[in-house]
Amino acid sequence: MYGRRASQLLKEVDSCEAGQLVPFNSDVFDQVIRECNEHNTQFQSLIRKMVEQNLDIETTRNDDHYGAAVHHLSLLRNKRCLMAYMYNRAEVIQSFRWKIGPVLPHEIQEKLHFSEKEYFKNHSAAIKSYMSEMDIDLTVDMVPPKDPYIQVRVLEDIGEVSLGDHSISLTKNSLHFLRRTDTEQFISQGLMEEFLE
Amino acid sequence: MPGYYDIDDILMEEEPISVVFQVSANGVGLLDPGAERNSVEKGAKVDLPFWLAHGLLSLEQAVSINVPPCFTQKTRKEIQADAACVDLRIRCPYFYELGCKIVPLVNDRSIGLFLRYAFTSRYKEILSKSHSSSMMTVPKFVPRLTKEEAQVFESARDSMTAFKKWRAGGVRLQKASILGRKRKTKLPDGPSAP
Repeated sequence: MYGRRASQLLKEVDSCEAGQLVPFNSDVFDQVIRECNEHNTQFQSLIRKMVEQNLDIETTRNDDHYGAAVHHLSLLRNKRCLMAYMYNRAEVIQSFRWKIGPVLPHEIQEKLHFSEKEYFKNHSAAIKSYMSEMDIDLTVDMVPPKDPYIQVRVLEDIGEVSLGDHSISLTKNSLHFLRRTDTEQFISQGLMEEFLE
Repeated sequence: MPGYYDIDDILMEEEPISVVFQVSANGVGLLDPGAERNSVEKGAKVDLPFWLAHGLLSLEQAVSINVPPCFTQKTRKEIQADAACVDLRIRCPYFYELGCKIVPLVNDRSIGLFLRYAFTSRYKEILSKSHSSSMMTVPKFVPRLTKEEAQVFESARDSMTAFKKWRAGGVRLQKASILGRKRKTKLPDGPSAP
């Protein structure tokens, strides 16, 4: 009660490294919602008591009013904590699309609440739709380019991939001289690394 | 001014504040450990989280707020003696943020000057150490910093690291940090089409 449990959610987010995610804490989240219902019940009960005494609830400042004020402030506090929890996680989830691409690895997927998976899917679809419409890839050139081509070493077997007008076999430990825009997503996913001689 | 969703601001407002109730309040006995029935009596001295103390004072004039212990003479004398060595985190992890918010709510007009003095005295030490320390170690004094000071330290250290990296050249594209290091990345179904 009184915001204690709600702030626990944000302590989890705060202790997590920036840009990382901890599993969604459904238990505490649901408990806070139940607390909100309890605060609301108590609030309504105190207001009802004032009404039954024919007091003007707009102007009266008695013991019941101040008790109701505490419950009201507690509701606002819980609301802020819950919304900040969702919002800050949503920011990180958005950043995944830009860093990893449209498919999330399983170890990240399992940390998301169902609604967060939907959010990522919809965010991804919106970006894809916009990029199709504008015929531009917004997710490349995350670092200012020096050269249109880059030498890369393949870290994991990727297989046969179509790049532009030809296909190429990306076998583990092979070296390739490719267009930088074709490689950025693979590098970001950890499947390739930039190779400097 | 921190936004509604700012996590540090929300956590800072969880700090306990000693208040005296100027009114009685029904239905909230849990707030007062000494309460005999489900209410807080007028005159009761209670520790409330800042967000509640602030709300009750600003919106309802229902409480008066006492100066938190981290801003009293004891801490001030320690800061004046040797600012860089004082463990402010243990007194209040959000020392400066709380201080800025408490000033309008209490009668002590000197808290603002004290905050400025503490920060300027400690800042120089924080900055010089951030430039000389490696990313691999945590200097001995870091656990004594407040959250705000730790952020200054980390920013300065990151800035120095980024500068050295830029000057040295080297790879510029790298794996997304979310995926971590030395872990087998599962290939999604079929190769990704960038």
